[in-house]
Amino acid sequence: MNLYEFEGKQLFEKHGIKIPRGIVVRREEKAGDVFSELNVSDVVVKAQVLSGKRGKNNGIRFCNKEKGVQHVQDVVDELFAMNVRGQYVAAVRIEEKLDIAEEHYMSITYNTNRKQPMLIYSREGGVDIEEVPEDKIKKYPLEIANQKLEIDTVPAYAQELWDVFLQEDCRQVEINPLVKTASGEWIAADAKVALDDDAFYRHSKDAKTRAVEKGQDPDVITDWEEFESRTMLGRPATEREIAVQDIDKGEKYYQGTAGKYIEMTGDIAVLFSGGGASIANMDALKHHGLSPANYTEYSGNPPREKVASLAKIVLSKPDLKGLWICGGVANFTNIEATFQGIIDALDEVKPTYPIVVRRAGPFEKEGMALMKECAERNHLNMKLFGKEVSMSETAKTLADMIQQ
Amino acid sequence: MSILITKNTKILVQGITGNEGEKATRAMIEYGTDVIGGVRPGKGGEEVLGKPVFNTVAEAVVAIPDITTSTIYVPPFAAKSAILEAIEAGIMQINTIVERVPIKDTAYCLAAAKERGAHIIGPSSLGYINPGVGRVGVVGGPKEQADEIFTPGSIGIISRSGGMTNEVSWQIRKAGMGQSAAVHVGGDLLMGTTYADLLRLFEQDEQTTAVVVFGEHGGSYEFEIVEMIEKGEFTKPLAIYVGGKFANTLPEGMNIGHAGAIVERGKGAAEKEAALKAVGAHVAEDYEQLAELVKPYSS
Repeated sequence: MNLYEFEGKQLFEKHGIKIPRGIVVRREEKAGDVFSELNVSDVVVKAQVLSGKRGKNNGIRFCNKEKGVQHVQDVVDELFAMNVRGQYVAAVRIEEKLDIAEEHYMSITYNTNRKQPMLIYSREGGVDIEEVPEDKIKKYPLEIANQKLEIDTVPAYAQELWDVFLQEDCRQVEINPLVKTASGEWIAADAKVALDDDAFYRHSKDAKTRAVEKGQDPDVITDWEEFESRTMLGRPATEREIAVQDIDKGEKYYQGTAGKYIEMTGDIAVLFSGGGASIANMDALKHHGLSPANYTEYSGNPPREKVASLAKIVLSKPDLKGLWICGGVANFTNIEATFQGIIDALDEVKPTYPIVVRRAGPFEKEGMALMKECAERNHLNMKLFGKEVSMSETAKTLADMIQQ
Repeated sequence: MSILITKNTKILVQGITGNEGEKATRAMIEYGTDVIGGVRPGKGGEEVLGKPVFNTVAEAVVAIPDITTSTIYVPPFAAKSAILEAIEAGIMQINTIVERVPIKDTAYCLAAAKERGAHIIGPSSLGYINPGVGRVGVVGGPKEQADEIFTPGSIGIISRSGGMTNEVSWQIRKAGMGQSAAVHVGGDLLMGTTYADLLRLFEQDEQTTAVVVFGEHGGSYEFEIVEMIEKGEFTKPLAIYVGGKFANTLPEGMNIGHAGAIVERGKGAAEKEAALKAVGAHVAEDYEQLAELVKPYSS
């Protein structure tokens, strides 16, 4: 999960990284007299979005006390009315304007080549790091087992950023710019943080309870469940996306097996099995001129109930023109059980548009037989394929059925 | 000759008493692979499918000193300690099926493995199979299905996706070829064993005449292949499909499919394909095409 700047800054502050004084304004809220509140005459008004490059895209504005409080409110309203590089503006953060002497850059992320975290630092911050010449960038590979940083000249806040990275289970942390003020103080003027969703269980209400049981302080744990739903698709999460996230909260062992739903603008509903097959199929769909209504993938042998709930949500989208249920040759996902989940949904919705099914794996005969019966009793316009026909070919079949 | 699995492979299953652990144990035994036992703390002395259960990996290693491989079938929160236990007990090859392992834990385990010279395949790897020799994990599924898909041959297969390991292997078989080995490397951002690691093994392997790769957008692992070919470290024909061409319309930073399939500037499917083509790799339009691209090189 990618955090908004104001959320990232909360984590920075928690670990001793100084941030500019400021407030967060949500939609429908009023900014109020920020000049008095922050005791400054100049403020920065920043759109809270999940993409970078806000400055270049008019997402960061400056206001002065002389122009008055109403001007700040007008700017806030303007930011809420816009998209920044297609990203939905979730909130606005208003901060004191810093008296900047130097702008640096610092980030920590996993380097896949070295398979370890890497700290990247440059004295030329405030711009895209891709635009900074290589010789102005320092790279320090970090040992994951060492909580204490062991690099020669440690830049300001490097240890604190490492603490954020490790203790908050981040995939990426970035401060750009890391500002040195005219009075010599270091302040993180921006925050980019990506959390590792797979570490959710260590940052939840349950984790706090476990900490109490072990006699540890639960307050050091930031509860990720408190973060609002989000999607990077330039809009708030849709009802269906939120509903699918809830399905996934069920049975612990199967978490992640039936929890992926991204709502898209097309009219072909899809239920894919397997991460790799799903992206190959999205490519195939596009190749055959079809446009997906959603991206959905289940895998890892999810229970029937989860698949049923997921399928019902996929089929609930209005104005669908087709349904493609497609996966490769499963290793151990039970085709009969997962198909029963889909059948539960088909029995309820009884779609009239064309449906193509392609799947193979354990209990495929039983699964296909059940699916065929379902098609017959509901008079569905459905074609069924096993592994004798490749996945992409069945995308073409669906395209042809829709054409007819 | 073969890679990763030999007739001397002896496997330990950590988490053998769980559903998935038992299923994997059965799958490996059915395929004629030597599973010597398993581990489950507190259940030492019991048996699963006639195989002894030990309390710890250390106990298992004392009882059976020539264990070559451990397979990890535990919940995500227990993965790190299970893998470290195997490394500390001196096991040199560790297949981790566990999905959703926090990346920090993976990085920790990979660092520990490197220090001891051990190899991790995974996380999120369903395993690997050498047709006719043996299999580690559950690649191929039930024996009957595995026999339909896999037959000894000359094509090496590497896939980021478990389902696609089977699917691609099946396309190879359907086109009248066989496989030397099929390896599911897992779809995580950090991979214990990368394409490059495996290509080095396939380069040395006499049985393998060509390699097929199912890759994905995101991450930089496909660029390591480019580098290897450029340096002449991999010289056999290679056919590759890079999934995720549709993803170029998605916002940067978003991940779709596997955890490692992140939309990143310069690391999209199209950029990877262009770089691979430039060094002479055979790039497939869709995954079905992989079989025809390597067909001339099979023996």
